[in-house]
Amino acid sequence: MFDTVIGLEVHVQLNTKSKIFCSCSTQFESPPNTNICPVCCGYPGVLPVFNQEALRLGLRVGIALNCKINSSIYFERKNYFYPDLPKDYQISQYKSPLGYQGSLKIDAGKKIGIERIHLEEDAGKLIHKGNYSLVDFNRTGIPLLEIVSLPQLTSPKEAFDYLQSLKLILQYIGVSSCDMEKGYLRCDANISLKKKDANIFGTKVELKNMNSFKGVKAALEYEIKRQTKQLKDKKIIIQETRLWDSDKLKTIAMRSKEEAHDYRYFPEPDLPDFAVPAELIKQERESLEELPKARVERFIKQYQLSKEESSLLVENKQLADFFEKVLDFFNEPKKVYKLLFGPFLEQVKLLESGFSGIKISAKDFAKVVKYFNQKKINNRGVKKILAIAVPEKKDIDKIIKAEGLIQLSDQKGLEEIAEKILENNPKAIKEYKQGKTKAIQFLLGQVMKETRGRANPQLVRKIFERRLKE
Amino acid sequence: MDKKLIKSSACEIAKAIKNRETTSSEVYSFFQKRITKLNPSLNIFIDIYKNSSSLGGLSALAGVPIGIKDNISIKGKKITCASSILASHKAVYDATVIEKIKSSGLSLMGTTNMDEFAFGSSTENSCYGPAKNPWDKTRVVGGSSGGSAAAVAARLVPFALGSDTGGSIRQPASFCGVVGLKPTYGRVSRYGLVAFGSSLDQIGPITTNIEDCAHLLNVISGFDSSDSTSAKLEPGDFTESLGKDIANLKIGIPKEYFDQGLDPEVKKKLDQAIDFFKKKKVKFKEISLPHTQYAVPTYYIISSSEASSNLQRFDGIRYGKRVEADNLLKTYQKSRHQGLGNEAKRRIFLGTYSLSSGYYDAYYLKALKVRKLIKNDFDQAFQELDAIITPTSPSPAFKIGQKTEDPLSMYLSDIYTISSNLAGVPAISLPCGFTKNNLPLGMQLITKEFDEATLMKLGSAFQQGTDFHKKIPELGNV
Repeated sequence: MFDTVIGLEVHVQLNTKSKIFCSCSTQFESPPNTNICPVCCGYPGVLPVFNQEALRLGLRVGIALNCKINSSIYFERKNYFYPDLPKDYQISQYKSPLGYQGSLKIDAGKKIGIERIHLEEDAGKLIHKGNYSLVDFNRTGIPLLEIVSLPQLTSPKEAFDYLQSLKLILQYIGVSSCDMEKGYLRCDANISLKKKDANIFGTKVELKNMNSFKGVKAALEYEIKRQTKQLKDKKIIIQETRLWDSDKLKTIAMRSKEEAHDYRYFPEPDLPDFAVPAELIKQERESLEELPKARVERFIKQYQLSKEESSLLVENKQLADFFEKVLDFFNEPKKVYKLLFGPFLEQVKLLESGFSGIKISAKDFAKVVKYFNQKKINNRGVKKILAIAVPEKKDIDKIIKAEGLIQLSDQKGLEEIAEKILENNPKAIKEYKQGKTKAIQFLLGQVMKETRGRANPQLVRKIFERRLKE
Repeated sequence: MDKKLIKSSACEIAKAIKNRETTSSEVYSFFQKRITKLNPSLNIFIDIYKNSSSLGGLSALAGVPIGIKDNISIKGKKITCASSILASHKAVYDATVIEKIKSSGLSLMGTTNMDEFAFGSSTENSCYGPAKNPWDKTRVVGGSSGGSAAAVAARLVPFALGSDTGGSIRQPASFCGVVGLKPTYGRVSRYGLVAFGSSLDQIGPITTNIEDCAHLLNVISGFDSSDSTSAKLEPGDFTESLGKDIANLKIGIPKEYFDQGLDPEVKKKLDQAIDFFKKKKVKFKEISLPHTQYAVPTYYIISSSEASSNLQRFDGIRYGKRVEADNLLKTYQKSRHQGLGNEAKRRIFLGTYSLSSGYYDAYYLKALKVRKLIKNDFDQAFQELDAIITPTSPSPAFKIGQKTEDPLSMYLSDIYTISSNLAGVPAISLPCGFTKNNLPLGMQLITKEFDEATLMKLGSAFQQGTDFHKKIPELGNV
């Protein structure tokens, strides 16, 4: 009955060392009001100085999102009063954004238009306490890049995919960690409904306060239901800003269009125009990392991985980078992939700092895969080694020796053990002969127990199969 | 010695210190005593420092005391901008010009009275009350750097710093009979100057004579990486132009500046100054700056728009006056209502209106376009001219209270000075005579961007042949 029209506004923190208009550190989790100076606190008489590193990082995003780049940009003041905004205006871009008319391909292969990307400074953080509030200015002046999509997303799922794809690109080109919990990435959504295949857009509602991609999806889903009901009941949609309440799982009206700010944008007189030299664009284009979509394609071709396997790898840049490094030492992509996605990731999940906390080198991991491939160690051995060597820097061979993990593949020795197990388990033999082939699993387990997990399970299985058929 | 100090220029005082005829602390305490004695009746200083905090230095001006307009940041000292919203605020850092002044060994004497946030032409819009003109205490000192100009005129300090957004150095210099220079936009760092109209503001010297002006400009000018609008130029020495030959320089006389509204006495003194230069073989030509009539409205839209945004930070949240109220909005409203004076509010209204959606194109954007036309007028004129001569203000200092009820007539007292701010070009006001009632008058010389050197040449030639700048107002026995 209705088509959904969604546009997203994403704010991402660019990971510069210092703030966008002063030299204060951008370090996260510093004690409140320690990364501040007269400039970012808006003391009388201070002036901004543009950090060109923010321009460079923003430019990389523009290139990665296929934007046209303005050859000269300027900043404007966005005026509004709020206690987290020390100057009571935000230095932003309005009429001359860094980039415009870009695009982003989402997973389904659909291209979503990027209207514009622009640079601006972040505001501070308010901490509300009972009947008073505190302000932390550490975040004030941290460079942000706002990425505005065209209203071309047609479902909450597409919006979710768009965000995933965008985040991945931003991580790949190294401009931001995109950590939503830390506020490195924030997303507002505009949503409206229109009659199926109609040309005229419906009244749009702006949604704010979503703190995860899932939250964005949920808020949009809620809003579709709400607006659909309104329209079915022949009620009008009010143009307004609504806040997502992640506890109550609904959106709540915040302010209507009439109450909207008049930001009185005008060119920031304290900053000149900045050229974006063609040379810089060329340099950033040439040094731009391989983008995720291209990497998936390459993985499929170069390593004969499936599309799904490649995507799973590429989705985690650190993991994909590690994967390729391991291949430098042991070039068996399928085999490396298998252990990486099994026992390796299990251990990574146990680490507090996730992938960043791993201590094992690519070379050592390659060794583990190689040993496994040579049947020197078995599955359990792999698990044991990784449990020790992922969280702590340890020599692989020493672990194998100390833990006695060398796989028993000596036919004669294994036959002796198998014989002993058969002697002690006549019941299992009987069951097997009655057709319960599962009994062989039990016997295998007994051998593993006897050998403390070192026996080569394939060999032992073969021994039992042969013996029980006799 | 004391009598000599009053008659001495800053350079002469520096020389006397260097020659051990006196010491910097003797000089300091002389001026401090003079201020203590005269300030109660003149209301020129806002804050009088107890000691110089001079670090010593080897510049040509080392040891000389200086007065600072109260909108320039001096670390640890009060910076009020003559506004009650900042009355208790202490600066947390030094302005770039203050760093330069300190490292040149000058002594900070204190801060001078001004129009609140530099909004005004008379220093009557001050939360500390109006400063009085040393030549006639019933008259204004001009503004907004009225305190600095009057302090120099009354020899409460050998020289001072002011700031000029639309004439705020030159007009009070003219009203007080001293030399006031607005440098080229970008010549002097604005870092630490509380912003009024960011695209127009410049800090500049106010001195008794052109030589001091050149020396003080040497101290305060130069590229500053903290001010993105500061010009990347090699430091020059402005004193090199002093005493240079001015024969064959070409000066334009813009007819729009000699229209009706110009006081006949001012006109007469200007004519005499022109005759003086003619005798020195300077060539004159009547010219037209056709967009002059739009300068005042253009200026008030641009400067007020910028000011409305610049003044938002005075919101009672982090520093300055806060009036406690039930909620955030009321806290903002009450703090600003009680903290800001009427003229500040008027400018904020004007600027907020000009920038509002629906009005932006008709006012702010149009003003920017006219500003370009005004700049073009100057660019064109300077293709064949070395300088332009005009009166600094249409009249001598007016009576205190005379224009306070009529903002428009107050705004028009800057009619001759505003254009050079819009165009970004340097301009100087030099004493050029006195009225029958012994009120000083000033003439203005304007040159192209970054050509302060020509102003120094013309100024020093004029002061070599005249003695208007040597007259000191009679302030009784001190």
